[in-house]
Amino acid sequence: MTLLGRVVATELRPSTPHQFHFWTAADAVLGIGAIVRVEGEGRVVFGVVTEGFAYADLARPLDAVIGADGDPALAGREPTLRAEIRLWSAAVLRQVPEEPMQPVPFGAVTAASDADVQVALRMDAYVREGASTGIPVGVYTGGGLSAPVFLDADFLLGPEAAHLNITGVSGLATKTSAVNFLLTSLFETFPASKGSVAAICFNVKGPDLCFLDQAAPLGEADLALYHRLGLHPAPFTDVTVFAPYKADGVNLNTLRSNPAITDRVEPLVWGLREVLDYAEVLLNRDDVDAKAGAFIDFLAERVVGRKFEADELRGAPFEVMTFADLDEFFRAIFDYLEVKSRGSEVWRTHHAATIRKVRNRLGNIATRSKGLVTDDGPANDLPWGAFRDRSVTVVDVAGVDPLAQDLVFARVISKLREHLERRDLGVDHVVVFVDELNKYAPIDGPETYVKKMLLDLSERGRYLGLVLFSAQQFRSQVLRRVTGNAGTTVYGRMDSDELALPGYATFSPAVKAKLAALSKGELLVRHPHFTQPVFVRFPRPASLSGREGIERFPPAADLPFAEAVIQRLRALDPLIAGDAVRAAIEGRPEHEVRRALGATTQRRPDDVLAFFRGCLRRSIAAETAAPPRGVAPLARDAADPFSPY
Amino acid sequence: MPGSPFTPLRRRLALAGGRPADLPAESAQGRRDQASYRPSRVLDGRLAHHPVGEPVAWQEPVAFLDGTQHVELLGYVGTMPVVAAVVRAAVRQREARRTHLAVQSVRRIVLSRAEAFASLGDALAGHELLTLDREEAPHPIRDLERAHAVVDRTRGALELAVARAYRAIAADVWLLVDGTLTVSPEWSSDPRMLGIVKSHAVLPFEGEALEQYLTLPVGNRTSLFQPGSREVAPVYAWGLRLHPFAGRDLFHGLVRIEAAATEATREAVDTLSRHLLAERAPLAADPRADRLLYGIHDVERFLRAQGG
Repeated sequence: MTLLGRVVATELRPSTPHQFHFWTAADAVLGIGAIVRVEGEGRVVFGVVTEGFAYADLARPLDAVIGADGDPALAGREPTLRAEIRLWSAAVLRQVPEEPMQPVPFGAVTAASDADVQVALRMDAYVREGASTGIPVGVYTGGGLSAPVFLDADFLLGPEAAHLNITGVSGLATKTSAVNFLLTSLFETFPASKGSVAAICFNVKGPDLCFLDQAAPLGEADLALYHRLGLHPAPFTDVTVFAPYKADGVNLNTLRSNPAITDRVEPLVWGLREVLDYAEVLLNRDDVDAKAGAFIDFLAERVVGRKFEADELRGAPFEVMTFADLDEFFRAIFDYLEVKSRGSEVWRTHHAATIRKVRNRLGNIATRSKGLVTDDGPANDLPWGAFRDRSVTVVDVAGVDPLAQDLVFARVISKLREHLERRDLGVDHVVVFVDELNKYAPIDGPETYVKKMLLDLSERGRYLGLVLFSAQQFRSQVLRRVTGNAGTTVYGRMDSDELALPGYATFSPAVKAKLAALSKGELLVRHPHFTQPVFVRFPRPASLSGREGIERFPPAADLPFAEAVIQRLRALDPLIAGDAVRAAIEGRPEHEVRRALGATTQRRPDDVLAFFRGCLRRSIAAETAAPPRGVAPLARDAADPFSPY
Repeated sequence: MPGSPFTPLRRRLALAGGRPADLPAESAQGRRDQASYRPSRVLDGRLAHHPVGEPVAWQEPVAFLDGTQHVELLGYVGTMPVVAAVVRAAVRQREARRTHLAVQSVRRIVLSRAEAFASLGDALAGHELLTLDREEAPHPIRDLERAHAVVDRTRGALELAVARAYRAIAADVWLLVDGTLTVSPEWSSDPRMLGIVKSHAVLPFEGEALEQYLTLPVGNRTSLFQPGSREVAPVYAWGLRLHPFAGRDLFHGLVRIEAAATEATREAVDTLSRHLLAERAPLAADPRADRLLYGIHDVERFLRAQGG
């Protein structure tokens, strides 16, 4: 044990059960965040250094001037160095024995050993040979040590506590890297006895999470950290990236479009059924009044996805499966109101203005979320019920309209909750990673559906195994109930202005100063087992960062329609001949091809080309029997800002 | 002195050729009851001022010696006072600009009359008992004075012992002592020992020579002189002005340096003065900082930090 110093206490700076002070030699290897051990009076106390002071016996600054004859150059040449002190403040991490709780004894202060770190952070309660629930989060490097620090899986994924929130300035990749590494660690060390786990990561900006399956080059220092933590430095092996189409309906709206790595990219396409349940997300809160809500409920429960008979509208029953079907249904209602009922304003208790409003809003969804929402093609969704253990699903919504992002969040989280409640998701735990919480759960602003979803997830998710890993730049600007429910809180480099806010008052000025200058790879971690937050260093993730991924796999330019179709089909069957596909789609309308492509992607048949051709034939036959009609113009509603005219 | 009601009077004093000053430097006069003249002999003609040149710090190790005493009246047995004291002395040596303890010693003593000790039994166990002179008639106040005098002597003896112990391990290192060297022939003859006397209760000159002595400019020394009545342990001495006194007090920044009465001292007086000028910095955090060398202050603070 390296003797560092001695505890000192004065009337003005007394030792308490939670804090103590000690002095060291000026050259002692010690810094803010270091863990120290005090032994005395039959007790051992562990503390973490939170503040440091240095001062000399100079009574007044003027004495220094007088002593140097007013010449700063002479100030460093005094024959005797002034007596000076290095005084440190430390917050108590743990006392052994814990009772009776007493002020810290005036004992010798030594640097903590590996074993001390484990006891000080109470990791001895859950990092045990054969029954460990420890998840490596990094290494404590104070005082020349390199001691692994573990989080408790029971407090990270539940059931004791759950969720993780990370704060840090943008641009250093700290937040994304930390979550990336932590997921790696979690997947490798989450005990099998606790069940299976998968992750869903929302990629909300650029290519951040698009290359999680691609290996990153690691230096010796990083490899040593992985070794110290007992982890294998490898990228995720089971990754699927879901991305909506672009407006053309065939090129995917993702920066992971390099042909070399598109095999793990799936289209995310939803139809009317998928959207209608979350109509509230997409409609202005003011819009969804009781009348509109009632009509939407009517559509969802009585019309969409089933046979709906309305003899007054037409003889044959409606089968509303797509937005196109829905529009035809609306047109029939308006035909009825304007022609058959001679200008009546009401259909089945629903007023024409309400019906018109709902029609306009739903039509607007298909327009603004084009690529995600298909008018008439088949949906392609996340593998509900078939999530695999240790799989990562990236939902890339970086390039889509904010409205569509909201829809994706709301629906994915709702579906996760539904499946976890029924225990039929395929895995027992799901980690949902959401970045930019400042945007999705701001402390002020309107009550959005997404905000409610995130709040619900953070308050009730742990009972289901639904865990939120969230990140933001400014914690102070995020809904407190979301961040406050995170059992584990992580801080990367912080903005000084942010640190000046009252929410960080529990940090000492020195800790704040360190946080404001943290280097990449360093974090301050607060965890339920740790009495005080501790600084740790984590290795660089073993998978490519977004910037590296883009450099190594430059995104491909948008392909012409036919080429894009060929590429999508080749993702299912690499041996498909381009000419055969071109011949198959020659002269066919694009929407027909898109529908056939969607059906093929969804079905994943053994003979991709044959199935694709078959879909094309079916769609042409359907078109011959019922040629598409244009949507009948509606009367202009000047009060409706979403009116199509 | 800002705000002093005597500021106009000080101006008039200056205009009339006097030297305005603020309050006397603390302890500059030493013990006022001992204020006196003890005429000295100037070695080379008349007392003169000599600029010593630029300060030059000692490069070799230098040691500093000081002692402290803490005296308290414990109480009375009958009418006999019982006094306790902790007396400490130490030498701290400076190397590479840092000081560290070389030698230290401590005595914990209790002083009273033998009758008082007898009635206290072993209540004072663990302390050194010093009995006051039996031949003096008991008197509560006189006994207290005697006890203080014994403590003073004990401290002097402890400082001598510590210096001796230090010399046993470092014979050639310059040793700077807080106070006079004339307390011991051993010290006064040590060729590498300097006494730094801050107190000016006993002045070495009178009349014109005294004015010359007390108006020594900063960075100057006086001519060497031999203090009077020091036949037992003769030394050479000179005045050295460490800090300017203008506008303050005649004693401000003035110290008397004592060294062995040897030819080597006569030759080295300017060099030693330049070294001592360098010791002005850093300034001690002490009211006597104008005359208290930081090295001496360092020893004193070390001893006080040892507690009772």
